[in-house]
This record gives sequence, C-alpha cells and structure tokens, in this order.
Amino acid sequence: MRDYASPGVAILVVGSALLAGVYAVAVIDRMIGVLVAGQGPSWGRLLAEPVRSSAVLALQQRRTTERPDAPGWALAPALFAGLAAVALALVPLSRDLVAADPATGFVVFSAAIAMVMIAVYLHGWSPNSAFALHGAYRYGAQALSFQMPFLLAMLATALPAQSLSIVDIVNAQESLWNVVRQPAGLPLYLVVGVAVSFWGPLNLADGADLAGGTSVEDSGLARLLWAAARAAMLVAIAAMGASVFLGGWWGPWLPGAAWVIVKTTALLIVLIASGHLLARVRIQQFVLISWVLLIPLALLNVFVSGALLL
Amino acid sequence: MNGLLTDAIFWVFAIGSVITAFRVFRTDSMMRAAFYLLASFAGVGGILVLLGAEFLGMVLILMMAGEMLIMAIVMVMFMMNPAGLNPMWMVHQHRIAVAAGLVSFFALASVPFLVDFPDRPALRPEEATAELGTELLGDSMLVFQTAGVALLSTMVGAIAIANRNGRFGEAEDGSQEPAAEPGTESRP
Repeated sequence: MRDYASPGVAILVVGSALLAGVYAVAVIDRMIGVLVAGQGPSWGRLLAEPVRSSAVLALQQRRTTERPDAPGWALAPALFAGLAAVALALVPLSRDLVAADPATGFVVFSAAIAMVMIAVYLHGWSPNSAFALHGAYRYGAQALSFQMPFLLAMLATALPAQSLSIVDIVNAQESLWNVVRQPAGLPLYLVVGVAVSFWGPLNLADGADLAGGTSVEDSGLARLLWAAARAAMLVAIAAMGASVFLGGWWGPWLPGAAWVIVKTTALLIVLIASGHLLARVRIQQFVLISWVLLIPLALLNVFVSGALLL
Repeated sequence: MNGLLTDAIFWVFAIGSVITAFRVFRTDSMMRAAFYLLASFAGVGGILVLLGAEFLGMVLILMMAGEMLIMAIVMVMFMMNPAGLNPMWMVHQHRIAVAAGLVSFFALASVPFLVDFPDRPALRPEEATAELGTELLGDSMLVFQTAGVALLSTMVGAIAIANRNGRFGEAEDGSQEPAAEPGTESRP
C-alpha cells in the first residue's frame, strides 16, 4: 500500500506550496522583464509588485457580459487551480515527504493536464464573447496537438523505473538522471509545458493579438484567480519536470527538499524567460510542428529508452 | 481512509453522476451537454478509483476530457452553431427513446438482485496496473502496441498531408483554386 498524507496536512502543504509558487512566478517574471529591458532591479519594488497588483485586481469592480454562462465562468478558474493542485500534490519533496503517491501517479498527472483543456475551453466559451471564444478554440487546437508528445515524453521516464509512480520514477534516477539518459525528453517536456500553461511564445489562448483571448472579459477577482491558476499550473509543470527529469530530491550536500526547490526554480526561470526572449508562434505553425516533429521525436525517445532497457 | 468518509465520497460521486447525466438531456446547448457528460464520466471515474481500479478510473477521466473537447468542436463545426449556444433539443424520437431508456434502466438495475455475487473478499493487489494489463492483453501485448504505434503514425501522416491545406496551397497565402482554363483568372 502506498503513502498518502492525511487530508488536512495535504491541503495545508499543497496550498502553501501553490501560494509560494504563484508569488515566485510573479517575482521571477518581473525580474526577467526588468533584466531584459536593461534596467537595474530594485528589490523592494520587485517583491511588493505582485502584492500590489493583486490588491488592485481584488478591489476592482466586476463587470459582466450579455447572457454569459455564469456557473461555467465562475467554475473555470477554480477547476484550473484545482488541477494545478492535483498535479503539484504528486510531486515528492523527498523519499518520504509526498502529499499523494498513487501507483498510477503518471496517469493522474496526465489526466490533470488533459482536464486543463476543458478548464480553458470553459473559460473562453462561457463569457459569450467573440475574442474569448477564439482563444478557446485556439487552445483546443493547441491542446489536442501537445497532448501526445507530452504524454510520450513523460512516459519514457517511467520505463527505467518500471513503474508509473512518481516516487519510483525519481528513485530510479539515483545513479543517472533522466535528463542524461533521455536527452530529448526535457526539451520536449519544456516546450510542451509552455504550451500547457499557454505562457510566453505559446500564449495563443490568452494572447495580446486577441486582446486577452479567453480572459478578455474577466475583471477584478476573476482575472486575479485566472492569472494565479495559470501561474500555479506553470509551477506544477516545473516541479514535475524537476522530479522526472532532473532527479528530484537526489543531489549532494543539501537535503532532498532543498534540491527539489532549487531544480523547480531553475526550470521556472527557463519557462518564464521564454516569454521575454521568444516571439509568439502562430497556432498553425505550432500544430504542424507538434504533429510532424514533436510526436515522432517523442516516439523515437520512447523506442530508444525501451531498447536500452532490453 | 475511514469507512464513513469513503461512503460520503461515493455518494457525492454517485448522485453527482446521475444528476449531471440527466442534465445532459435536459439542457438546450451542445456545449453544456458535453460538459455535463464529462462531469458524469468524471464521477464514474472517481467511483472506479474508490473500487481500487485506480488506473481505469484515471484513464477514463483522461480519455473523456480529450474526447468531449473533440466531440464538442466537431459537433459545433457540423451544426454551424458557432458557440454551441443556440437553443436546441438534445433528444429525438421521444417514444422510442423513453422505451429504450426504461428497458435498459430496469435491465441494468435488476442485475444486482438476480446475480449471485461471489462472497470471497479479495486482497487489494500490489501491482493492480500490471495485473490488469496482463489480464486484458496477455500474450497479444506486442501486437496491440504495434497496432497502436501504426495507428498513431497514420494520424501523423494524415495531419502532415492535411495541414498543407489540401490542393490549393497554404491557407495563409490565401489558398486559391487554380483556374479551370490556363491563362484565365481563378475564382477568389
């Protein structure tokens, strides 16, 4: 029988990890923005800015559209944030410290990622607004394309562990991290990770070219929650990438949990920097690249990893 | 997990599944029907997890999320109903539908009363996923895997061909039908 933390502890740990992660994403995003713009960072402003803008959004007046699907609109950010929490709950901080370690951890994570497209589609569809609906359809095309390379890239990491449990996958990397064992895995995972939380170059669903896409009609608290949920999903993806590719808790000198945080932060910086350094990709290009390049590459990755084990 | 909590979670999933399944047919929008259907399936997936079939439960949720999105998009495309918001009836051929619904409900509901279930408590298997795979596929594992990869390659090939926007060039270049007669203007 595998380990599960008691519900109270799990909610506390995952909730605080999510909050800290969302704050870290906001700070890192701004810091990279300042650096790319060539200005010197001012720490006080950097650290206070996320709090300030959250407070502004939280106090802002809410507006609505004509005949929206109100329950769907309210549900979407909650569903998205809940899925980020599910994904993050599977990430082990150390061998014994994990909120949930189901034997099918990989499948649970994949199911959470698959449900993200429902959350985003619901969010774009429910306000009854043209640009929001455009964003929703774009994410639909994007999600159906990245689903396959994402699953395959992560599935390859389950092969050396001979198990679908995330703890077992990390455990199997004691001698050699998966990033060395499967060089194609991490880049694939990161490209697709940017697409899952529609960040930076793959922010097609909420892009500026659609005046904000699925969140064009959001205001006040709803906008704040949606932004937080997106950042939370990015954190969950970085944390899972650190676990299945970068060896999770394995590392010298520091305790395991510290290594997980260091690696997660490193991946977060890479993911967020993409938003400041790369141009946005068009949806047609992304769909083509996904099916013609990423899926075959991911399949090859699985075949090679499997062959090495035989 | 203690018994009372498990029972409570079971009833939430069970009642939730039935209510959302009912709503699928009572709502007047295709998109809402798809979302309700997904919620109903997610509840069934939760019950499967409670029964110890973790893999089946999670795979059900995983597959249904993708399937509902594809179904909704394709439905909306075929029905010329941009957001799936135009009111429409979700049931047709009422008499036959009611009869079929009643018959299948009573047939399924009578199963627990008519079947003599074995009374052997089974141990929770350590490697349920592996056992399930062996049980379902057995020796044909390799055949199924090969077929799966072949199907996927077919899909990739089909997309690569289709993405050229068919016979008339890239959509972004203003995919145009060539002229019927050489030297004449093509239709825009």
